[in-house]
Amino acid sequence: MSFADIHVSYLLSQLLVGLINGAFYAMLSLGLAIIFGLLNIINMVHGAQYMMGAFIAYLLLTLLGIGYWPALVLVPLIVAGLAMALERFVLKRISHLDHLYGLLLTLGLTLLIEGAFRQGFGSTGHPYQIPALLRGALRFGTVVLPVYRAWIIVASIGVCAATWYVIERTRLGSYLRAAKENAPMVQAFGVNVPRMINLTYGFGAGLAALTGVFAAPIYQVSPQMGSDLIIVVFAVVVIGGLGSISGAIMSGFALGLIEGLTKIFYPEASNTIIFLIMMLVLLVRPAGIFGSIATIAVGHSINVATQRSRELDRAAFLKIAIPIFVVACAAPFFVFPVFLMETLCFALFACAFNLLVGYAGLLSFGHAAFFGGGAYITAYAIQALGLPPEIGILLGVAAASLVGLVFGWVSIRRQGIYFAMTTLALAQMIYFIALQAPFTGGEDGIQHVARGKLFGIIDLNNTMALYFVVLTICGAGFLLFYRIIHSPFGQILKAIRENEPRTVSLGFNVNRYKLLAFVLSAALAGLAGSTKLIVFQIATLTDVHWSMSGQVVLMTLLGGLGTITGPLVGAFLVVALENYLAPFGSWVSIIQGAVFVVCVLSFRRGIVGEIGAAFKSLGTRDRRKNKIVPQRQRPADTNLR
Amino acid sequence: MPNRIDVGEKLLKVRDLHGWYGESHVLHGMNLDVGKGEVVTLLGRNGAGKSTTLKAIMGMLAKRSGSVRLRDSETISMRSDNIAHLGVAYCPEDRGIFASLSAAENLMLPPTLRKGGMSIDDIYSLFPNLRERHNAPGTKLSGGEQQMLAIARILRTGSDFLLLDEPTEGLAPVIVQQIEEALKRLRATGYTIILVEQNYRFASMIADLHYIVENGRVVDRVENHSLDGKLDVLKKYLSV
Repeated sequence: MSFADIHVSYLLSQLLVGLINGAFYAMLSLGLAIIFGLLNIINMVHGAQYMMGAFIAYLLLTLLGIGYWPALVLVPLIVAGLAMALERFVLKRISHLDHLYGLLLTLGLTLLIEGAFRQGFGSTGHPYQIPALLRGALRFGTVVLPVYRAWIIVASIGVCAATWYVIERTRLGSYLRAAKENAPMVQAFGVNVPRMINLTYGFGAGLAALTGVFAAPIYQVSPQMGSDLIIVVFAVVVIGGLGSISGAIMSGFALGLIEGLTKIFYPEASNTIIFLIMMLVLLVRPAGIFGSIATIAVGHSINVATQRSRELDRAAFLKIAIPIFVVACAAPFFVFPVFLMETLCFALFACAFNLLVGYAGLLSFGHAAFFGGGAYITAYAIQALGLPPEIGILLGVAAASLVGLVFGWVSIRRQGIYFAMTTLALAQMIYFIALQAPFTGGEDGIQHVARGKLFGIIDLNNTMALYFVVLTICGAGFLLFYRIIHSPFGQILKAIRENEPRTVSLGFNVNRYKLLAFVLSAALAGLAGSTKLIVFQIATLTDVHWSMSGQVVLMTLLGGLGTITGPLVGAFLVVALENYLAPFGSWVSIIQGAVFVVCVLSFRRGIVGEIGAAFKSLGTRDRRKNKIVPQRQRPADTNLR
Repeated sequence: MPNRIDVGEKLLKVRDLHGWYGESHVLHGMNLDVGKGEVVTLLGRNGAGKSTTLKAIMGMLAKRSGSVRLRDSETISMRSDNIAHLGVAYCPEDRGIFASLSAAENLMLPPTLRKGGMSIDDIYSLFPNLRERHNAPGTKLSGGEQQMLAIARILRTGSDFLLLDEPTEGLAPVIVQQIEEALKRLRATGYTIILVEQNYRFASMIADLHYIVENGRVVDRVENHSLDGKLDVLKKYLSV
């Protein structure tokens, strides 16, 4: 065998791996596109449904002895059934709300399902045997093609083609396409649209489950096999555009192949290549390769605040801020200071996130990149470069702002859910950099970072000194946040949130404001991450993982989107929850997921928001009692859209 | 012309119909009757609640109360797809043509609900323009063609009760005339029609009865043969 032969067979085998991944991307993004088309939901739980597919196949085999071939039919039906129940009893209840809530709800469900599987089956992978019929390999000269992989490619192309045919060429498909445009009209023609939606969701989830069964013999079956894959699929969807069925299929296969090629020529970039392509596509063709301008217009900007943002005048602000400050000063003498510092850092992080989502209406799903990025850079500056902590923090903030500038520049080209998916995918790039770059310590992260002396005077190893430094930093961050949202700049952000086209027509360069908000938010998130590093002396992959982005969303949602004190309350609760549940393993994730779901379903204003609303209605009732004609209250939901 | 008003029994009885868009109360107790085979118009200013009434009858208004009896079925809490199965079809003001479907697909989209729908040939003889354009994407058709398509596609389904929302709005006079002819033919075939109109001259050419709508209520009922005598009253209602 000559060198050239090895090279060719290596090339072909990598291309084959790429094609297999492409098949999975294509099937998953096809399911996402179908579900999005009819339900207007970005089905975050798609990855979990894929995982359930693989897992149920594994369980059927090990518990009941039901093999691969029956599983190929049974598993998609089981998952589709579960998904239809989910649509009927849960998703339907938020169908009239903004896309954002669908994203948050399905994210919560993902945490819940993955946590439950981890709790039940542990996080180690389980092998699944290739069925007897598909073992062995085909040989073409020096090139070896395993039969199972050939089967996957043929089968997935078949499934994609059949789905395309049904949607684009049949009568049922014309109902689907029409309902995607104008569901009430189709229903008025006598079509049972609610059932059609239910079946469509079931079909999409079943497709994910089928992909899971396909994948089971290739990858290890584990509870987290879906979540990382689904982020890549989001990038595929952003590249292809959700509008077109054939676009989803083609970009899935093409990107899988490109990924395979990258593995051959520049393996270091193989994890990030799809995200890089996504950036390029967004810069050149923001609507995606197969998307049209019309699909951009559809993705209108997200308006998350379900209430008028609670603005506080200075007196009211001081009335709240001073007691909080007093409590914060006294607290370390009664409560474990590290817990308080963690709460403060996360509160600042949530505050930074809230600036973007609650005031500019931009839901970023990638804030872990800034938080964790800040932590890594600070850790590197202190440990490797030997810089003092204050310089380390400044560098961390600067790095986060820079990353924020680049990400913001790319992502504000898309709106709504596309913005959310874009930020999620971009942040995943930072995750892979943290995993692979030489200076980040890979799986271990950067550990035992010395706290040092602030300005060479204050010894940060003294817990109380550290606490007050952290309190000062975070307090300054909160004040800056308060200043921003009450400045003319903040008013314009709110105007963009309420009605972007109107703001444009008033002559504002909306993108510049969005970008600045993005950078400010990234800088504050970086500050939170750097400060957290000083406290915990460790920067790890957890800090940059997408679940960290999810956590900050949870904190803000729980406390109250678009409220000033909400993130503080939310951060306190989530950090407390984590600390108390830490011994119970995956229960943290299960409970966080459940809290997400409950918040979205019945508690959308968050704790602070609900309390505020309750006070408001109380006030209205009092005024009515006093026979003063009450000013008509703006109903809570009218500022949506 | 025969007096068509006492031709049949009442097909639709609307009593004290209220309707809301979100929080805003739009219909304030509509009352109206439509007999089988009648052509009835709802006349009134912009925002009077005419289109909303059609949507409420069709079940497309999420929040509604009162009573809508259609062929002896109470439909006030029914879903729009079930209401459609009672043989009523709706043509919205914006025509509701689907951009991602071709003209032919748009035409064939509504499922057949009852026997007695028009055949494709009948439809093409009613609207000859559609035959030539059947492969074009739905929204590439001209405004008039879209309007014809929107009416044509609900004729296929076997529904004999049509709710037409301003079918002449924004169309050239020659097209309006074509639609007028088509509606006259439908009327002669025995279709029952509620027509929302702002143009009472057009309405008077085809309708048996006019309901004047103001502030979400029916404020007057004018039979077509007495329309000329009531022009002054009508002008008072319709002028801005």
